[in-house]
This record gives sequence, C-alpha cells and structure tokens, in this order.
Amino acid sequence: MANNILEFSLNRSTSVEPLNDGNLLSICQLRDTFTAAEIRMLVKMPELEIAEISGSFRHAYLDEIEDLNAALQQLLGVRVGAGMLKIIKGLLGEAENLDQVVYMVEEACHGVILHLTKKVLLKAPEDAEAKFAFYANMVKKSIRLYDRCAAFAKGSPLVAELEAEQRAGGER
Amino acid sequence: MISEFNRNKVINVVSLDAATLAVHGILDDSIYSLELDFKVRIDDLVCFAVSGRWLRWTTPECPEALKFLAQAEGFCLEPGIDEKIHKIIGRTACRHFANLFIECAYAVRETVKLLHWQQAQADGSELSLKDFLQRGKPQEGVAGATERSTAAANKVEIKADSAAAVAVDGLKEPAKKTAGNAAVGKGGFVIDLHVHTSPASPCASDSVTAMIIEAKRIGLQGICLTDHNYLWSESEIEALRRKHDFPVFRANEIVTEQGDMLVFGFYEDVQGIIKLRELKRRVAAVGGFIVAAHPFRGFLTFGADDIGLTREKAASREMFQLVDGIEVLNGKVTETENGLAQEVAQALKLPATGGSDAHDVSTVGFYATVFTQAVNSEKELVAALHKGNYQPVKFR
Repeated sequence: MANNILEFSLNRSTSVEPLNDGNLLSICQLRDTFTAAEIRMLVKMPELEIAEISGSFRHAYLDEIEDLNAALQQLLGVRVGAGMLKIIKGLLGEAENLDQVVYMVEEACHGVILHLTKKVLLKAPEDAEAKFAFYANMVKKSIRLYDRCAAFAKGSPLVAELEAEQRAGGER
Repeated sequence: MISEFNRNKVINVVSLDAATLAVHGILDDSIYSLELDFKVRIDDLVCFAVSGRWLRWTTPECPEALKFLAQAEGFCLEPGIDEKIHKIIGRTACRHFANLFIECAYAVRETVKLLHWQQAQADGSELSLKDFLQRGKPQEGVAGATERSTAAANKVEIKADSAAAVAVDGLKEPAKKTAGNAAVGKGGFVIDLHVHTSPASPCASDSVTAMIIEAKRIGLQGICLTDHNYLWSESEIEALRRKHDFPVFRANEIVTEQGDMLVFGFYEDVQGIIKLRELKRRVAAVGGFIVAAHPFRGFLTFGADDIGLTREKAASREMFQLVDGIEVLNGKVTETENGLAQEVAQALKLPATGGSDAHDVSTVGFYATVFTQAVNSEKELVAALHKGNYQPVKFR
C-alpha cells in the first residue's frame, strides 16, 4: 500500500457565467475515482431564484438515480441564499445516492454567491490602510460577518471600531 | 461565453502505510487559494497532523485562520461530520477551509471503501465493488460517536420545569412583581415574536429559562418561542408561564421551499420541508397566521441593494401571496434588508411584525412587536395578529 501511488483522487470544478439577459449559469462538475457528475443551473437575477436545472450522475457503486432530472425540478423557484441547504435537502431527500447531487447543487449555488461576492471585493482599495478600512466597514454594514471567521472574530483589529461602537451603544 | 467565477478543488489521498492515509486538498478559485494537509487513521477515520496554507486571500486578517485549523485534530470523518466542520472550522478559522475540509472528508470515506474492497479481493472475494459495498457496508458506524444532524436529533426532550433545563448562564431571575405582566404598558404590550432556545433549536446557545429571565430584565412583556420545526407542548409553555410569572407563547419557524415561515396558532409537528402552498392550506384551516420570516435575508458581503432587487420585483415573489404578514424588523439581517421588507409590506398592505431572531440572551428583545392591547394567551395572540393592531419596534 505504501508506494506513494494515489489511492483516490477528486476534481470538482464550479464555474459561473453571466448570460446576456443578466441571468447566471452555474455549472458544477465532479470527477473522482468513482463518480462522474454534473449539475447545470440557471439562476434568475436579481431574484436569485433557480429558474432551470438539470444534471447527470454516474457512480461506480451507487444505484442509478431514477428520474434525476424530474427530482431536480422540485428545486425550481428556490432562492439561492441563506438557509438554502436545508431546503435543497428537504426537497431532494437524503438518500445515499442523492448526497452528492445535493452537495453539487449547493456548490453551484455557492458559485453564484461567490460570483456576486467577487464583484464587491473588486471594489477593495489596494492601499493597505484603505483596504483595512474597507473590510472594517464591510463588517459594520453586514453584522452577519461579525464573529463568523478568524478575520472578523471578536477582538480582531477589523472589528475594533464596531466593538467600540457597540460598547458606546450599550452605555447609552 | 465568459466564465466570471471559477472554483477548482483537487483532493488526493495516498496510503502512508497499512493504517494511515495522507490527504492533500487544494481549493483555488477566483477569490481564494488555499491548501490543506492532514493524516487519517484508517480504522477509525480520526484525523491528525492538520495544517493549512494560504496562497491568496482577501482581508488583512485572513492569515489568522491557520492557527485555528488544529481544532480539527481528532475529528472522526464519518458521515455527519460536515456540520461540526462548518461550526468549528468554518466559524473560528474560515468557511473556505471548512469547505475544503468537508471535501477531503468525503474523499477519505470513499478511499476507505475502496481499500476495504481491495483487501477483500486480495482475500479471495469475487464480489464487484457495488455488491461488496452493498452487502458489507463496512464503513457504517466505524466509531459510532459522530454527531449526526438529522431531523430526529432535533426532537430533544425538554422539561421546562426541570433543573436540567435551568442553564441560566449566571443570570438571576428578577424579583417577581405582584402585578402580572399581562397589562398594556405606556408604549403598548411588547412581545418579541421570534426567539430561539437551546436545545430545541440546535443553532441556539442559551436555554429557554435564560431567555425568559433576560426578557423580563429588559422589560419585554412577553416572548414567543419559535424554535425551528419544533413544537413545544401546551403543558411545557404553561409551566414556564407559571414558573416565571411571565407571558410565554409558542409558535414555530417552519422551513418551506420559499424560505422560513413563523407560524402562529398551528400545532402540527411539521418536520422537513413543506411547500408553502400546503402549509398555507393547513394553517388557514385552523385559523392560524403565517409571517414570512426575514424574507430578504441576504449574504455575508452583499445585499439586495447590490444585486439591484427593486421593491416591485421583490413584491412580486409568489411567497407574498400566501403569507398573512411580513417580518420587517429582524435582528439577524441588515437595515437595508429590513427596509426592503418594510417597503414590500407597505406596497402589498400586509401586516408587519418585528422579532429579534435571538439565539442567545444578548440579542433577545432587540426587535419586537408592540400590540395595542394586552395579550394573555395564544388564542389572543393569534386573534391580535389577524386584527392587525400592532407594529414592529426596535426595543433594545
């Protein structure tokens, strides 16, 4: 076994393409030792709702998913956003052979969110001080970021101003 | 065709020896680039020697995430570990490292299945991979101690009056007033209509007792428990009311395909996802009331305003034809998102409510709903909601 030869390899790729009508096409593809799968999703903008979805799934040891595309149509109208995973799981079910499909739909949705996030991040200044202020202001504008990761954790320099404002608010 | 966002992940798993795997993961996308390395014991799927590396990141503080990756030491990578990775690595380190870790954990489980099959073949088995795994299920319950996030797991037993439920985190109950709380104060009768408690809502961190004590301390006149797909019993609520001499109501935050709904006066134990249209049918049949919870809850770095969602577009969502009211002040969303909800409620002439969406005592009562009349029972609460004599308020 210990011959440095790969036992298992996984490649997952997600891409998001804006279409002429402003909607977004998100595609998640998976190729690993056992699996070849793809999910294609059209997201209507600015509502961020799944407007079209299709997929394919082949796996070495899991049963074929009967009517995968029919099952995926249950997701039409679901909004890409907070809380979507529980909705996707709830609508598609949690059978073993659907695990990866659920995950890939979620990844395609994350691709859309990250595509929109990228647009915001492109506005960050290059100058170090201004860049710091940009991110400090971002957490003030979107409190959901606060204490959600190491960068915006309690006590982080990026949240110092926010915490000072909170303390001042509490004292009033 | 121009792809404007790309994310590529590569995970490789190698056998170090008969008992150990080495995992190397790469996540490289339009925004971030990071790597993760760790080892795993094949017999129990426990990982160790976790390390990471940033190649590209965003904020000046992102590099701090690396020091928190060690918290994954000892994780058992069985199915069900994803939520723990999200909670611990995602929240303390970085959600992108968590995403990569989850991908690696999947690769590890698949590798172990492959190794078991290969071992069986070496031992003379002629079963195909599929037959072997379907007959043997070798990886079910390797260690048996992994947290599994299932709907059933949410059905925790909560005894409202038991000592076990009184995890009050150092809070002391204020002295009981001789006059009850069920009277309209100067500003009206103020109820926080959206409160989560632990353990009924797995995402909450404070107990119902702690929440009630804090609600009394800050001067609320009632709270409504809206635990996720969790139905409190009438007797539990009555016990809480009596014990704390405080109006406690129950509702339910139910997940539909169109988002979360706060449902009042409806006592079916709904698990999983229900279609909003079906929920509406059932709730209307018993005279209940549905409020669209945080309808424009957005994202971490951008909001409805960034994507050009106008009031007209927002108001045209099918959801608003099926709900009885809209939560326009929610403590977990931005001012812009609450503002859009307010505009939509006004445009559609739907009643508007407020609630903290508190998951711990520090935020209970942040927003609330002020009623013009005292509300003494759930029946009265539902009647008051239908009547419409209330408005959302910033309370705390």
